[in-house]
Amino acid sequence: MSDAKFFQRGKIQELRLELNSDKKDRNYTRKKQTLKKIVANMTMGNDMSSLHPDVIACMSIPVLEVKKMVYLFLINYAKAKPEMAYEAIQTFRRDVEDPNPLIRALAIRTMGYIHVDKVTSCLIQPLRHCMRDQDPYVRKTAAVCVAKLFMQDRHLVENAGFIDLLREMLVDSNPSVVANAVAALTEISERSDHIQLQLNMSIASKLVTALNECSEWGQTYILESLMFVVPQEPGDAEMLAERIAPRLQHANSAVVLTAVKVIVYLMNYMSKEEDILSMCKKLSPPLVTLLSSGPEVQYVGLRNILLVIQKHPEILKNDIKIFFCKYNDPIYVKMAKLEIMFRLASENNVEQVLSELKEYATEIDVDFVRKAVRSIGRLAVKIESTAQRCVEALLELIQTKVNYVVQESIVVIKDIFRKYPNQYESIIGVLCENLDNLDEPEAKAAMIWIIGQYADRIENSDELLDDFLYTFLEETVEVQLALLTATVKLFIKRPTAGQDLVPKVLKWATEEVDNPDLRDRGYIYWRLLSTDVAAAKAVVLSEKPHISTETDNMDPVLLEELLLHIASLSAIYHKAPTTFIPHCKPRFLIPSPTLRRQNYNVGRTLQHQDSYSSLNNSAQFPQGLSNNMQSSRSDEDDGNGGLDEFVSSSKQPQHQRLSYHEQSFDQVAEASIGNQEYYEQKINAENPYRTDTGAVSGSQANKSGGVDLMSFDL
Amino acid sequence: MIESLFVLSPTGKVIIEKHWHELIPRRVVDYFNEQVSKAMTEGEDVTREDVLPIIASPKYQLINVYRDGLTYLSPVTKEVDPMMVFEFLHRIPDILQEYFGQVSETVIKENFVTVYQLLEEMMDDGFPLTTEPNSLKEIVPAPNILNKVVTTLGATTSVSTRKMPHGMSNLPWRKAGVKYNSNEIFFDIVEEIDAIVDSTGKAVSCEAHGTIQTNSRLSGMPDLTLSFVNPRLVDDCSFHQSVRFNKWESDKVLSFVPPDGHFRLMSYRVNLPSQQNLPIQVKPSINIGANGAKFDITVSLRSTDGKPVENIVLTLPLHKSTTTLTAQCNVGQYMFDPVGKVLRWDVGKIVPRERAPVISGSFGFGSASDAAANAGYNIGVEFLINSHSLSGLKVDVLKLFNESYKPYKGVRTMTKAGRYQVRA
Repeated sequence: MSDAKFFQRGKIQELRLELNSDKKDRNYTRKKQTLKKIVANMTMGNDMSSLHPDVIACMSIPVLEVKKMVYLFLINYAKAKPEMAYEAIQTFRRDVEDPNPLIRALAIRTMGYIHVDKVTSCLIQPLRHCMRDQDPYVRKTAAVCVAKLFMQDRHLVENAGFIDLLREMLVDSNPSVVANAVAALTEISERSDHIQLQLNMSIASKLVTALNECSEWGQTYILESLMFVVPQEPGDAEMLAERIAPRLQHANSAVVLTAVKVIVYLMNYMSKEEDILSMCKKLSPPLVTLLSSGPEVQYVGLRNILLVIQKHPEILKNDIKIFFCKYNDPIYVKMAKLEIMFRLASENNVEQVLSELKEYATEIDVDFVRKAVRSIGRLAVKIESTAQRCVEALLELIQTKVNYVVQESIVVIKDIFRKYPNQYESIIGVLCENLDNLDEPEAKAAMIWIIGQYADRIENSDELLDDFLYTFLEETVEVQLALLTATVKLFIKRPTAGQDLVPKVLKWATEEVDNPDLRDRGYIYWRLLSTDVAAAKAVVLSEKPHISTETDNMDPVLLEELLLHIASLSAIYHKAPTTFIPHCKPRFLIPSPTLRRQNYNVGRTLQHQDSYSSLNNSAQFPQGLSNNMQSSRSDEDDGNGGLDEFVSSSKQPQHQRLSYHEQSFDQVAEASIGNQEYYEQKINAENPYRTDTGAVSGSQANKSGGVDLMSFDL
Repeated sequence: MIESLFVLSPTGKVIIEKHWHELIPRRVVDYFNEQVSKAMTEGEDVTREDVLPIIASPKYQLINVYRDGLTYLSPVTKEVDPMMVFEFLHRIPDILQEYFGQVSETVIKENFVTVYQLLEEMMDDGFPLTTEPNSLKEIVPAPNILNKVVTTLGATTSVSTRKMPHGMSNLPWRKAGVKYNSNEIFFDIVEEIDAIVDSTGKAVSCEAHGTIQTNSRLSGMPDLTLSFVNPRLVDDCSFHQSVRFNKWESDKVLSFVPPDGHFRLMSYRVNLPSQQNLPIQVKPSINIGANGAKFDITVSLRSTDGKPVENIVLTLPLHKSTTTLTAQCNVGQYMFDPVGKVLRWDVGKIVPRERAPVISGSFGFGSASDAAANAGYNIGVEFLINSHSLSGLKVDVLKLFNESYKPYKGVRTMTKAGRYQVRA
């Protein structure tokens, strides 16, 4: 270790001598060579910082390449050694006045990276000049520099008038400058507590004009900024969307997806159904095209498509084939495709979907196979006409005896039984042949539920349960709950067959087990059975609430929020950004006279689902038994089914609440104060560390005092 | 916004590290490497390509792209447009390729300074800025050898004397003052077929992706109009930014001022009808028992307008428990990779009206298993047909405005298999 250090020191000495050598150095080739060595060493992680006096001395050499390397050196070390930056200030002052625009821009750009107060204060005046430089390359560099400066010192940027300068740049004659100014403003707005970007139609229209001429990245910045336009007049949204639509044909997928985002946003403000429909038609082909790109782009595309089609089911409804999985697609792409296939499945294409799913169930990847099997079951629940064929397919899969396939099949067959009672019981025999191989709690619980539910039709149901009971105390809670309920069901249906088992189970559940849920349920059964058998029967064997796949639709409030965040990490995870990104500004649809009625209730609490949770075909229960996705499946609630009546009664209020909160648009508009409160609450709830929510809600309220709204009237 | 970038060697070591905002410690790379190796040991058949492109860590979202053995890793702490990050990360090797002819750990290390200068221009404060090779080359000169090659090839790269970088000209993609002794432009129309074909030969899904790769070597500011005989075949398309979209909308012609050198003018997608005649038919038959399987696969030509099909390669990934394979084929040669468990059959070229290539044989599982006996099989198919376009898209005419010379114009078409698979 010490040897290496010594070597390095020797090396540095060598480099220093080279740099200061008096030998003739025409065109500075020797200096360039040495600087290259230093930069290379630096980038490999060797500490070259002690060379700084010698390197900075090179700044005066009027060669662009040399300057670039010195600036690279400065950026690299200035954070750790601010004093080094002081020595460079003089040269920096000279460079920002250099006749070569490249050097002016380079100086501004570099100094913006050096977060040292003394340097920053030297930067203000030159930066102001550069923002009005005659050369567009310098102006566009200066625009970004303002965003950099903002990160270091917000007050400085706000007080020194930079925001106004940026604002002026929005009408610059050069589209790249406009794009960078927009990018800087958007960034500042996203980070600032009391600056909120808001663009009016006239500036938006100017930006869209610049859109046609600027670079691909510039286009994404401008498009992104259009999310801050709130259309006020009928026709505004249509006009804007129409003008953005050509961006859907861009070769850069970031441009395409951002254009999709803006158009989906603008649809909220469109009045005519046919306009929305025609926009939807335009969105499908570019979304399909995203899927012919590399796997990463496909993945981002797929996760976003899943959001868009939940809001606008007419998009891609005829394109299901492009979501069919290829065997060599990366696993994450396959998983994402499968979810979309399920969403797009309908009476018209269910045949193809099922045959695809059967194909996938024979693939190698275990997770993918499981998900495919599960999807077959969900398909049966979703589309009644296909249930028979799905059940047949599942039976075929069970025959393969591949362990995880069998278990997964049993889990979903339980849901099919639940959805279509008294139709497919004939297959119970086949299921019972596979009891010995069940080792996953979920599959076990499902099988036990089936046995309990059909205790009177399965001849040896008592024996089967007894077998399971053998290991009762070692089972997971999930299985124990299922066993408890199934045994009680057996006893109620066939008292003689169950009379030996019930006392045993009740005793275990109430005395030997620590889990409070299990104990409570044990006690309830016990009391019910010992006081009023008729009541017990009514409770335990009560009619089950219907299950449907509607319930795994995303919470509409969350969906609405995520749609404003298309092309972001939140849209990948399907989680509200405020839940996983610190200091993130929430977005919401800002009311305007043309905002369409939102048919979800605003007051409901947000339910954040895990990204893969939507494959759960479960009735969702409001009590939120657990926030873990696995246990949010209703199977368990139901596998635990003895409390069906309680469960269903607790479901009731949710439905009531739903209909109660459905407001007409007028009400929403009039009740905007109420809305605002909601948003305030939401912010507080989601970002409890943040105190100054007033600013956000203020900007939301549009014109409340004290907030610097960046609305631009030009 | 991109906060930091790490370029990692195939072994996971940092080659390049660049921070636009706060310094993100290298620990994050260790964490990332751990996650990658964890993901790869988790599943049985997981490869590096299966690793999620966005990995969540407690503090960072690790956005990564894996290309040619190198990993481009961008950890972010704030909300970001992942599409933009991916596009940008892919652009880095694209540009390096353009500058150095190839991308590898060695190439990057040999050109550290140029690479860093490029990154400076490509991104400022986390905003992607200049990624057009044409503009970049004006700000950061390509290595000398390459410059020499260009000059000896006859292209007088008369870098204009004006001080303003052309990245800022009205056409950001084209530099001014380009001059060639002989003006020529070449179009390569390449169509790739993505298809899933079932064992009966019926296409389950099928589409063609076309690209028009262009090599422009024209002087001055040529304004071109390219028209097609049958442009309405195209279902969706995206264009290079030089293409005037309105002209396409109204007249279905491509009107553009090309960048200098290589670029992708247009990509398009054509949905093929499910009864589409695919160029070749692959007929597999695999009879699986508990201990192994017998198989034979026949390849025949279907509709290629009498053109031969070349470079035909079939790959059949086998179940991981496969240990032995014997086979014979009447054309080409086959190879069994006992480690990767893949049978690869290099068929070569088929000319119309020649006997159909067949491979037949058997393979055995090391131990009998239900999973192996019930596994599905897919055959990956590669091929290439010259002077053929599956969709039938045809160039009609190329017109040149704004310049007086008569350029040499060349168009080539080619159809090849993209993601093309046959289910057995």
